[in-house]
Amino acid sequence: MKILIIEDEEDLQKLMQRYLKKEGYLCESAFTFNEGYKRLNNYQYDCVIVDLNLPGGSGLNLVKILRQESPETGVIIISAKDTTDDRILGLNQGADDYLTKPFNLSELNARINAVLRRKLNITSKEMDFGRLKIKLDSREVLASGQPLKLTKKEYDILLYLARNKNRVVTKDAIAEYLWGDYMDDAVSFDFIYAHVKNLRKKLAEHDCGDYLTTIYGIGYKFISS
Amino acid sequence: MKTSKLYHAFSIAGLVLSCLALIWFLTKNTEANQLRLGLLTMLCTAIAVWLGVRFFYQLQMQNIRQKLYQTFQTLESFDTDEFTASPVEKRAFKTINELNDYLQDLIRRLQEHYQANKQFTANAAHELQTPLAIIKGNIELLIQSPRLGKKEMEALGIILNNTNRLARLNAALILLSKIQNKRFSDLEKVDIIKVVEEVLENFKDLIQVQELEIQKKYAPPLTVNMSATLAEILVANLIQNAIRHNTEKGWIKIEIQQRTLRISNPGKFLEVEPASLFKRFKRDTDIEESLGLGLSIVKRICDQYQHGLRYLHEKGIHTLEVNF
Repeated sequence: MKILIIEDEEDLQKLMQRYLKKEGYLCESAFTFNEGYKRLNNYQYDCVIVDLNLPGGSGLNLVKILRQESPETGVIIISAKDTTDDRILGLNQGADDYLTKPFNLSELNARINAVLRRKLNITSKEMDFGRLKIKLDSREVLASGQPLKLTKKEYDILLYLARNKNRVVTKDAIAEYLWGDYMDDAVSFDFIYAHVKNLRKKLAEHDCGDYLTTIYGIGYKFISS
Repeated sequence: MKTSKLYHAFSIAGLVLSCLALIWFLTKNTEANQLRLGLLTMLCTAIAVWLGVRFFYQLQMQNIRQKLYQTFQTLESFDTDEFTASPVEKRAFKTINELNDYLQDLIRRLQEHYQANKQFTANAAHELQTPLAIIKGNIELLIQSPRLGKKEMEALGIILNNTNRLARLNAALILLSKIQNKRFSDLEKVDIIKVVEEVLENFKDLIQVQELEIQKKYAPPLTVNMSATLAEILVANLIQNAIRHNTEKGWIKIEIQQRTLRISNPGKFLEVEPASLFKRFKRDTDIEESLGLGLSIVKRICDQYQHGLRYLHEKGIHTLEVNF
């Protein structure tokens, strides 16, 4: 899987590179509009992550060009602009997703994951982890062949962790994923704690308890070999 | 202008009348008359002068009062965000002109300071955004390392929590300054009941986990002309506040009556002045994660639309009331 990251902020560029490389992606970088344009012209990518504010031009134009020339490439806009209008404009130009800065890396990872799955037209809408299977379209979870009765939020948490499998996902990232920006920790962390506890209990009943681990003080991890 | 014309007319009429009187006396030219005439003229002049001075003085006073009133009015309409100093017309009163000049200068300086201050908050918040995101991201990256022991992870957890706190604080400050800079100027007919229901739906699980009981009392629909985004932020902050500062297995009462939204909940006794709750970073809680910015965001939004905002406290029940 080849990903191009077009972002002028050097530290952020490096950070995304490192994170995504660990995930097994092949990453290339571009820092300016022209650099991005050249790379898009010369190479083929599975997914492009593009910032809107670039030296030399707007990332929005790159999205437009990309859409015309290579419709099968996934595009995720990352931008500090956070109004609904910006979002709609970006999606109208053909971006698959729009992520507002600052974002959690696990969130970016989950979005790339979702975009790639869509683009690759994965027909089996199922994530298979051996004893545990998640059916994406019916929102069903099978543990050792048995369907689990999960609440909506329990399912959401499990899916988010599964999309970031073998990675520590922070409580903060989960809270933001579940409620958006303005949910404060105190209450939401209690909530996540309670739900993960229930979730693990339900998984353990079907011999799948070992999929989830708690990283004390930080968050949770979905383990799958 | 009118009064000074009146004054002129008055004095001219007085002059004509005294001239007529003089002519009448002069035509009866006897000695006794001459003496009487002298005395009378003197008396008339004295009275005329006295009346004139008095009249003039009153006119001047009225004029001064009017000018001062103008100045007061200008001061009254003073709003740090929008005020543009309109020059008051210059008239004969040097002192008032000086006062006006002084006030205008003072206002100009105040505005400059205020704008600079506002700009600083906005800039500082924006500039902090990227470094914070990079710190956060690198911690996220670091915690993936399998080589870290429990102690290191614990330390990283603390760093992460505090960075998150900073990031949220920063996001709230950016929001505050956006509201202040009128970045949400779109107007829509917002159905408050709908917004409340949406927010409740979003926080449903949090309410369940704390076993809070929701009591609703809705009168006919309440539509308000305001930004839909701000309406949502307003209601979300109020309800979040009621969730966070509730008692165990407590309740939240949401009442909508005419133009009023009232949200009450049981909670601990306040230790700070109620009015100061709307100020930034004031909070009365030992909940560490609370930023103390939620209510100032609410206040800001209410201020923008001149909605009334009241806090009431009675027998351990806290109530926040918004008058749309």
